[in-house]
Amino acid sequence: MSTIENYLAPSSIDDAAAALAAGSATIVAGGTDLMLQAGSGQKEYAPTLINIQKITEMRGVSLDGDTIRIGALTTITDLLTDEIIAEHLPVMATMADKFASDQIRNAGTVGGNICNASPAGDGIVPLLMYKAEAVLASKPNGSTETRKVPLDEFFTGPGKSVIQENELLIGVDIAVPPAGFVGGFGKFGPRPALEIAMAAVGLGGVVKDGVISDVRVAFGAVAPTPIRSAETEAALEGKKLDETTISAAGEIASSSISPITDIRASDWYRRHLIRVMTEEILNDVS
Amino acid sequence: MDQIVEKPDTLIGKPIPKPDAPDKVVGKTTYINDMVLPRMLIAKIKRTDRVHAKILSVDISAAEKVPGIVAIATAENSPKGLIGVLKDNPPLKGDKVRCIRDEIAGVAGETEEAVDEALKLIKVEYEDLPGVFDPEEALKDDAPLIHDDKPGNLSLTFDFEHGDISKAEKDSDIVLEEKYELHYVTHTCMGPGCVIADFDTHGKLTIYTQTQYPYNYKMDLAPALDISAGDIRVIQPPVGGAFGSKLDVYPFEPIAVYLAKKARRPVKLFFSREEEFIASPTRQPARVYIKQGAKKDGTITFRDVNVYLNNGGYTSWGATIPAVMMRTMTGHFRIPNVEFHSKAVYTNNPFAGSFRGYGNVQATYVTATLMDKMAEELGMDPIEFRLKNAQKPGERTPQNSLLKTAALADCIKIGAEKTNFLEKHAANVAAREKPGRIRQGIGIATSIHNAGGAKIHKSDGCGTILTMDDYGRATVITGASEIGQGIDAVITQLVSEELGIPTSDVIIANNDSAIGPWDVGVHASRTTFIAGNAARNAAVKAKQQILAAAARQSNVSIDKLDLRGGHVVQKDNGVSVTKLDRLLRQMHFAGDDAELVMVSEYYEPPSELEDKNHVGDISAAYSHGAYITELEIDTLTGGVKLHKMTCVQDVGKVINKLGIEGQMEGGIAQGIGYGLSEELIIEEGIVKNPNFRDYKVVTAPEMPEIECHFIEDDEETGPFGAKGISELPCIIPGASIANAVYNAIGVRFDNPPITPEKIVRALHGDKIEAAE
Repeated sequence: MSTIENYLAPSSIDDAAAALAAGSATIVAGGTDLMLQAGSGQKEYAPTLINIQKITEMRGVSLDGDTIRIGALTTITDLLTDEIIAEHLPVMATMADKFASDQIRNAGTVGGNICNASPAGDGIVPLLMYKAEAVLASKPNGSTETRKVPLDEFFTGPGKSVIQENELLIGVDIAVPPAGFVGGFGKFGPRPALEIAMAAVGLGGVVKDGVISDVRVAFGAVAPTPIRSAETEAALEGKKLDETTISAAGEIASSSISPITDIRASDWYRRHLIRVMTEEILNDVS
Repeated sequence: MDQIVEKPDTLIGKPIPKPDAPDKVVGKTTYINDMVLPRMLIAKIKRTDRVHAKILSVDISAAEKVPGIVAIATAENSPKGLIGVLKDNPPLKGDKVRCIRDEIAGVAGETEEAVDEALKLIKVEYEDLPGVFDPEEALKDDAPLIHDDKPGNLSLTFDFEHGDISKAEKDSDIVLEEKYELHYVTHTCMGPGCVIADFDTHGKLTIYTQTQYPYNYKMDLAPALDISAGDIRVIQPPVGGAFGSKLDVYPFEPIAVYLAKKARRPVKLFFSREEEFIASPTRQPARVYIKQGAKKDGTITFRDVNVYLNNGGYTSWGATIPAVMMRTMTGHFRIPNVEFHSKAVYTNNPFAGSFRGYGNVQATYVTATLMDKMAEELGMDPIEFRLKNAQKPGERTPQNSLLKTAALADCIKIGAEKTNFLEKHAANVAAREKPGRIRQGIGIATSIHNAGGAKIHKSDGCGTILTMDDYGRATVITGASEIGQGIDAVITQLVSEELGIPTSDVIIANNDSAIGPWDVGVHASRTTFIAGNAARNAAVKAKQQILAAAARQSNVSIDKLDLRGGHVVQKDNGVSVTKLDRLLRQMHFAGDDAELVMVSEYYEPPSELEDKNHVGDISAAYSHGAYITELEIDTLTGGVKLHKMTCVQDVGKVINKLGIEGQMEGGIAQGIGYGLSEELIIEEGIVKNPNFRDYKVVTAPEMPEIECHFIEDDEETGPFGAKGISELPCIIPGASIANAVYNAIGVRFDNPPITPEKIVRALHGDKIEAAE
């Protein structure tokens, strides 16, 4: 285990960005992934540990015009009770209700779930469906600046993303979904609680007169990163949600992915689950 | 005026909270993992990363230089004694490694950080050897030899024959032949492995350990050390679970002792959770070939059983589980002709140990699912077929177990009645033909287990000393260990009942081998029965001594006196003769006639050792259970949801209502895990899921409603009629679930756990072939 030489607990984004500008830092928020990874040797601490939990401006959900900001420090538990989430992004609450256990939901944050970049990160799947953008802050030249990265361009591999060493994820921005937007989240693991997904689906669109449009489909645990499925979206866009469309979409969903076989599930079973859950959500929203 | 003491309600059968529970709940209990001794060092183990290899060199020179490192033990600089049931396991490996958990060195230092650093700097050179991981492969002539002195990689074998199976097969109208693959599971104790070793200046060892077997532990540990068993004092601090995993001595324990000796300081060695998964024992995985025959009328004609146990690299108590497995294979239901053969075979897998159920979990999965299948093949219902073959009271099994009460038929009948079994069973079968995503299932499984101790050693006894102080408190010094199973509560209750004192006035002392008299340990569902009898008998003796003194003092005849509510009373009218504490002081301070109430009891149950042919009535009593599972299956995802488990068990007599329910629920959770979700995945000797994320123990939301019906048939030799109950709850659920799964979807699984993916593959097998 590498040694932590400095511990910082900044109380503003500005201070945190300044600390990151010096390089070689590990950021800790809820710690529910980091502590385990550091403990098992999977991840080494950088010399500076920055605890961002005191940056209160990064916690909570806010609505500004047509844009919803979910602060990176918003906990998974917060998603279950937040009114903006309930009104505009209810699939985030559905996801939160299937996320790990109460203890982990209380500590774990939306930002941490994104930055951990797990292929099976539950929180990422509905965020992809909602076309969230990651908001990254840095302080390269003495002043704090931010950039936005659409979440479907954010992940580059298991545990990897485009986030730079000097950047801090301060939240995600989501455009308020259009009127008539309905969605769902499905996750399967053998246990109802404390479970890592064998496969997960986030699917939504505007359903009007039985026809679905503005379709967004995201999958978790079936590729090196959580993904959007353009093929499945295309198969649904503008279609009447009847049995034929739903079944065809399920078929395309399962054949459009190439999941791995590991100790948790086989490639075949993951595809099967994606098909079952895709069809299940489509039946629910139709 | 005379004080009248009303006769209180009996405590037997009442819910008595475990005396250790409040401290555990508020976090006050000092578990062994929390203990700190003055000047204590921290120690860990350098393990191999190979499954089978010659050790060419071990270089500790860089590790020794790490600041804060005090001692490093290797095979070269440590005693050469061996541990294990066959004495085949050197605690530190010097010549070769045989499985992934093998120990190369122990390192003790001032801090955990220093120890971690030193572990990284130990360099080991190996020459890899070919590995073998399957027991039948390992038996082949050309298989790699794991121990030079164990030809054919053969560890322990068990063989039993009764009657004539080949004739019986010819006489059978139906014969079923099946193969089962029973998997690896592990105990997942909440408290990971931990030991503290400390020598005094006379060279005597005090060892703080999680053992559930404190007196034999000395005998098993001593050969690995250069000291006599008599110079070992075993202290048992509170532990976070054992479930059979602490029956053996494991290498980490002598390694801590070597380090304490070298460092001349106390040494605490402990496991991480990952290490607990990799380096603590597993249940013995078994490949079982079984043939069973029956007549058209449903009479079983024979069983023929061949078992291959994957022993792993070394032989622990786990290799002796066929002794128990066999009792079920040969004696559960009336089996007139039977053969049982088992071979425990060395492989390069982690080695298996003992685990609650001790082979009977495997035996019951096999026999109970086969019984179900045979009933269907015979066109009989699952209840009728079982009742047809259930033994009657007084029958003996082929191995000579005397089924005095034999409540098997009652268990089955009550279970079937309480659950409306036959109607639901038939309805579920009919529903399989109709469309629908969710299928309902109901299944029954039964088993038998020893319930009056198990004489596997020359004595199955328990020693107890009971003393009373000047204030009317009773101290019970018992050999029986409390490892969380609840014996302290049971003994408290039994003694309190006999002596007519409140439960809060009973003190239990049972964690120090220098004080407690001998006991054979916590195993075989034996402590309530054996230690309970010992404690009760001691209390009866104390009572006699007290009443004799009271009789002398009061001139009331002893047979007219009783103890009640802290008084000596006249039995018929409750009139107090004297207060108990006052009498005790008068007895104590009586000059030349002084006497202290201080009695002892060594209880040996009326059971017998097996002869060399495995025949012998090893337990004073046996218990049956019938567990019925109701569940539903999502045929698209394979998800299984348990609705209810109805458990009918013959318990002799309920002593502690809370304790027995706790034992049932805990065992059932383990049994469900065995059937549905738990599997230690081992590929080519490597543990692939050493964590709670991927090793799926059952969590609270998956627990079904549990309804227990206890048959209380008052076992004549048990304390207040009680039998041991603790293993059946873990033994039966897996098989019961498997039969309910079959009822729901018409598929049998010979390879638990029955995971959602296995279910989906079985139901949609054709699509898999098309896809792959």
